[in-house]
Amino acid sequence: MNMKSWIIIIDERRAGGMLDAAKKLGGQVTAAVVGSRALADSIAKLGFDQVLCFETAEGIPAEAYALQVAEAAKAAAPRLVLASDSSVGRMLLGSVAAKLNATMIGAVRLLAVDGESIVASRSTADGKLLEDIEVPGALAAIFDGEDVEASSTKPVPVELMPVEDPGTTMRMVETIEAEEAAGLLTAARVVGVGVGLASKDDLKLIDDLAAAMHAEKACTLPVCDDMRWFPSNRVVGSSHSQIAPELYIAVGISGQPQHMSGIRDAKVVVAVNNDPEARIFKNCDYGILGDLYKVVPELISAFKNNG
Amino acid sequence: MKIIAVFKWSRNPQDGRVGMNGTLDWRGVKMAPNDDDPAVMEVANAIVEDGEIIGLTIGDGDIAWAAARGAARTMVVTDAQTETDSSVTAAVIAAAIKRVEGVDAVIIGDSVWDYGVVSALMGQLGWPAVAGVVSAAKEQGRLRVTRKMGTASQVLEVEGPVVLAAAANREEKNAPGMKEVLFARKKPVERLTMADLGLAPAGDVSSKGTRFPDTPPARMIDGKDPVAACKELMAALRSDGVL
Ligand SMILES: Cc1cc2nc3c(=O)[nH]c(=O)nc-3n(C[C@H](O)[C@H](O)[C@H](O)COP(=O)(O)OP(=O)(O)OC[C@H]3O[C@@H](n4cnc5c(N)ncnc54)[C@H](O)[C@@H]3O)c2cc1C
Repeated sequence: MNMKSWIIIIDERRAGGMLDAAKKLGGQVTAAVVGSRALADSIAKLGFDQVLCFETAEGIPAEAYALQVAEAAKAAAPRLVLASDSSVGRMLLGSVAAKLNATMIGAVRLLAVDGESIVASRSTADGKLLEDIEVPGALAAIFDGEDVEASSTKPVPVELMPVEDPGTTMRMVETIEAEEAAGLLTAARVVGVGVGLASKDDLKLIDDLAAAMHAEKACTLPVCDDMRWFPSNRVVGSSHSQIAPELYIAVGISGQPQHMSGIRDAKVVVAVNNDPEARIFKNCDYGILGDLYKVVPELISAFKNNG
Repeated sequence: MKIIAVFKWSRNPQDGRVGMNGTLDWRGVKMAPNDDDPAVMEVANAIVEDGEIIGLTIGDGDIAWAAARGAARTMVVTDAQTETDSSVTAAVIAAAIKRVEGVDAVIIGDSVWDYGVVSALMGQLGWPAVAGVVSAAKEQGRLRVTRKMGTASQVLEVEGPVVLAAAANREEKNAPGMKEVLFARKKPVERLTMADLGLAPAGDVSSKGTRFPDTPPARMIDGKDPVAACKELMAALRSDGVL
């Protein structure tokens, strides 16, 4: 059976996870890098069977190459095409899917083979369930599974693909870098604070916990938008920053999906909440059911002594 | 500009009833506008100038939603629903779009509820497409869109016709009042069926059902005795290797 896979890559996010998921299906795995040569070079070290590079020109967004990438995919006729959920990757994937006449499925967490079919398990009902979908033909999937560290002792040569000038239908005018919240994006430990905190004065408690833990501080959207206790670069969630710390401690946060999608890649999530029904308890590793005003002071001393 | 605003093409994943054995029951759940649909209307209104916004939706639920937010009229494919294969859902939306002549922009909510439909629609229309769009403006006749790229934002100039997937930053601020809603219900609605679009409910893709993921449930620690609770937590974190 043809189990050839193509993985569309526009940055390194989830590249290892996608490679791992595709490899398990048994066929040859090709990385189709749409971006810089440097990106293709680092992808070539991860263990793909083949690395193609569609090198983009300065000032032209990767999406402008969508049709060219789709044509090349059509010629290669992979059975499976994956992309991460980045907005650029998803758009390129759509173009390839249309050319291949492929089934499209989003939020795919796991992939398997069953006879002649691919079975894609996608997250549904807000992450509460997995739905197993049997796909008899070509599948384009937006991969949302675990990322995996990948590396290979034998890097493959990068094959530069011939690209035509895509013209000026799309061009970059400027990139505006957001003011970075000192280290939040790369922090190993983060304390997240939600509306469970009763007043601004109580932020002292969060400051002390962050200091004891050597952690960065983050917050939910209403803590920024409604309370104005933090600037927006501290908000974590679907419409703001995505972080991947080793340890995230959520204090007084209910765990709405818009917040939780920002910490999906956190390794260990601890929640402190006084509502036994809080959604976050369905979505964390450790849940302390209790009043934050009683628990956090003890957490501070525990981290001071042990952490 | 002539703009098609695609809205309410899915059901809210929070509305599905999850059974004890991992089943999912959608009975009685209507389709709903997603978190990003208000951003669709905001972007559409920002660039429409003296043109027209046409709402496009599928299935059941509130047909007048876009009309209450600036759409002049609405098309609805009444017998279509969100399919397991997002390419099939997107094909319905694309076929309805192609009935309208001279479209300059299609705007759809960049919904995490189902990124698949957005992605498939962009591919099937084959127009220049940008996802993650937070705002757009017309400047000297040219369309400028700002999209989120991680923590940065990027301003792009795009020549039409284009597809934009609009992403909201927060809840809708100025939801229409009763008066606008009642007025919207009087605006024209074109009801189409799959047959009108030359489509048959298709797909050789089948769902084998739903189940709970294998991830273990959270370990709950009683915080009534905070000292003991923190001790237990620290021990657990140490054995997880994160301390
Ligand atoms: C388009 C859109 C985009 C959004 N994007 C984001 C985003 O990027 N990031 C984000 O965070 N949100 C986002 N939101 C908002 C999101 O839907 C939630 O409203 C928000 O995350 C809730 O914040 P919260 O948990 O702090 O507040 P709440 O939901 O009010 O939860 C407060 C929690 O504190 C607990 N609590 C109260 N008192 C105590 C106590 N003494 N001790 C312990 N616990 C206590 C309560 O039990 C409750 O669970 C978005 C919404 C929309 C519509």
